[in-house]
Amino acid sequence: MSASDFLILNHVSKVYRRNQSLLERLKKSESGGTKAVSDVSLTVRYGETMGLVGESGCGKSTLARLVSGLMAPTSGEISFPPNASGNKPRLQMIFQDPYSSLNGRWTIEDIIAEPIRVHKLRNGRAAIRARVDELLVQVGLSAADAEKYPQEFSGGQRQRICIARALAGEPEFLILDEPTSALDVSVQAQILNLLRDLQKNLHLTSLFITHNLSVVRIMADRIGVMYLGELVEEATSEELFRKPRHPYTRLLIDAAPDMDTSDRSLHPIAGELPNPAFPPSGCRFHTRCPFAQDICRNTVPPQKATETDGMFRCHFDLDLSNASVFPPAAQVKTA
Amino acid sequence: MINATAPLLDVRDLTVTINRDGRLVTALDKVSFFVNPGEVLGIVGESGAGKSITGAAIIDLLVPPLKRTGGTITLAGTRLDQLSPKAMRSVRGGRIGFVFQDPMTSLNPVITIGQQLCDTIQAHLKLGGSQTRKRALDWLDRVGLPNPDVQFKRFPHQLSGGMRQRVVIALALCADPVLVIADEPTTALDVSVQAHILELLRDLHRESNVSMMLITHDLGVIAKMADRVAVLYAGRVAEISPVGELFNTPKHPYTRGLIRATPMPSATGEMRLDQIPGAMPGLGAVPPGCAFNPRCFRAQGDCRATIPPLYHEKSSAFSCFHPLERVTA
Repeated sequence: MSASDFLILNHVSKVYRRNQSLLERLKKSESGGTKAVSDVSLTVRYGETMGLVGESGCGKSTLARLVSGLMAPTSGEISFPPNASGNKPRLQMIFQDPYSSLNGRWTIEDIIAEPIRVHKLRNGRAAIRARVDELLVQVGLSAADAEKYPQEFSGGQRQRICIARALAGEPEFLILDEPTSALDVSVQAQILNLLRDLQKNLHLTSLFITHNLSVVRIMADRIGVMYLGELVEEATSEELFRKPRHPYTRLLIDAAPDMDTSDRSLHPIAGELPNPAFPPSGCRFHTRCPFAQDICRNTVPPQKATETDGMFRCHFDLDLSNASVFPPAAQVKTA
Repeated sequence: MINATAPLLDVRDLTVTINRDGRLVTALDKVSFFVNPGEVLGIVGESGAGKSITGAAIIDLLVPPLKRTGGTITLAGTRLDQLSPKAMRSVRGGRIGFVFQDPMTSLNPVITIGQQLCDTIQAHLKLGGSQTRKRALDWLDRVGLPNPDVQFKRFPHQLSGGMRQRVVIALALCADPVLVIADEPTTALDVSVQAHILELLRDLHRESNVSMMLITHDLGVIAKMADRVAVLYAGRVAEISPVGELFNTPKHPYTRGLIRATPMPSATGEMRLDQIPGAMPGLGAVPPGCAFNPRCFRAQGDCRATIPPLYHEKSSAFSCFHPLERVTA
């Protein structure tokens, strides 16, 4: 642990338990459950944007909820080392759907002023109103918009309001859970550019969660790749795309179609995502991995550190810097 | 790409309006395009551009208050817009197959997938019971479901999202259609599954040589799948070009804006993200002249006054008074 560590996750796990019957509860038997996040260790440094990518069901949103304190982890610990002033950092969240995360009966002023009032960051009506206007301008809206209701805005504008509301709490730490997935491409670019500017100007530390590798590549300094609740690889953004160490990362990078019309080949990942409630034994990715061998089926791979301060979980040290490393047989459909 | 003399599907001046409390609002404004036999036409645009309305209008599945108010739709010589509702029913699922976005809601949850396939086959092809069943099993196998005999008796909820979308594709293709309209077929799926479904669509397209209209907002999907691409903006066609031309030398400023706004690593690996200012106008709020003019960096007086017509070139068409030069990529 160094002075620049902002957030430390230490072997964090979260199990969603199913409801037990009365008899089971009386017998105090151990119930099964879905391990949504399992044994994730992660460090976010001060001023850095940590990206988390993965497919649906990989536990990335659960991890966001754990970090934000909306849920308690089943095991492991999440800690914010005290900063210079000795206080815990203020934290805000931005959600995916700007249509359901704003109260339609409140004006924009009420919405943005709420965190200011709750945290007593400004005193007096006039001061609060001035701060709301300032925030609206900061996110690219106008002060006149404060009188309006959320329904009067488009999706991109609503997301700007959500960002203004998050900034109103004067956070040091921002959790963004798929902030642009519900938006169109041209609007997504606006929001991403806005977020990038804000992060730079306000020196925010953030956790950026998305399923889109291109988006996270633009936004994040470091990226963690999750698969079925496990963090399978973690590296700097540049390193992850230049030289991925885990086969899943490589396959995920190749699977998204790019805009090159001269090479029209598609690269699906063999098989389907297993049910997260019953993850495969050994390495969780072995059912879809083109390099899988017997050891992968039986033994959980160790967590290995890379020389560039990254981490990956694989039995082998594979060189995956080139897209054409896979045998053609690996790309046939098996599902 | 097959160059036949006559296009398979010819849509001219298709206009769709919404009746909003007696006020007519134009949702699709004189959209014209054609699909050649054996071709994949990509239709791309942002939400609200009218992509899905175009697909639904062709097979007359518009939900009121949406209403088709003009234009002609010709499928292999038949005027679809003049068919009776009854005749249209046999076209839907028969000569035109449809793949919807959400595989969760486009299958009947209380009927087995085998029965749903059999129903579709029986409705459109005159086959006996055993032959129908054989064909249904055959299709389950072709779309890549393991153990068709077992899957035949399963219900939609017992399948994963990717598997369900495979069933929907089987439903769209099982009656030997001449045209398949796929409306965002992979939007609800994860990346790894998306590539599977796209590959399946491509394989089936190559085998059967069926024409396809692929509606999507994802330029990556378009780049990999389409032969020609129509770009829609605010209910109008902005540009129609062969896919290579569209990505390398777009003519319409909106097309280039859309390509540059998509987060995608360039050949050198660096990321650039150029945003288009503003947002697409909502229904009924389309500005006079070119619908894109308030957001366009090339807009001049004429763009604000007149709607630009569709200029046709050799293989492409665009509606812009000040198109981008072919050399500026």
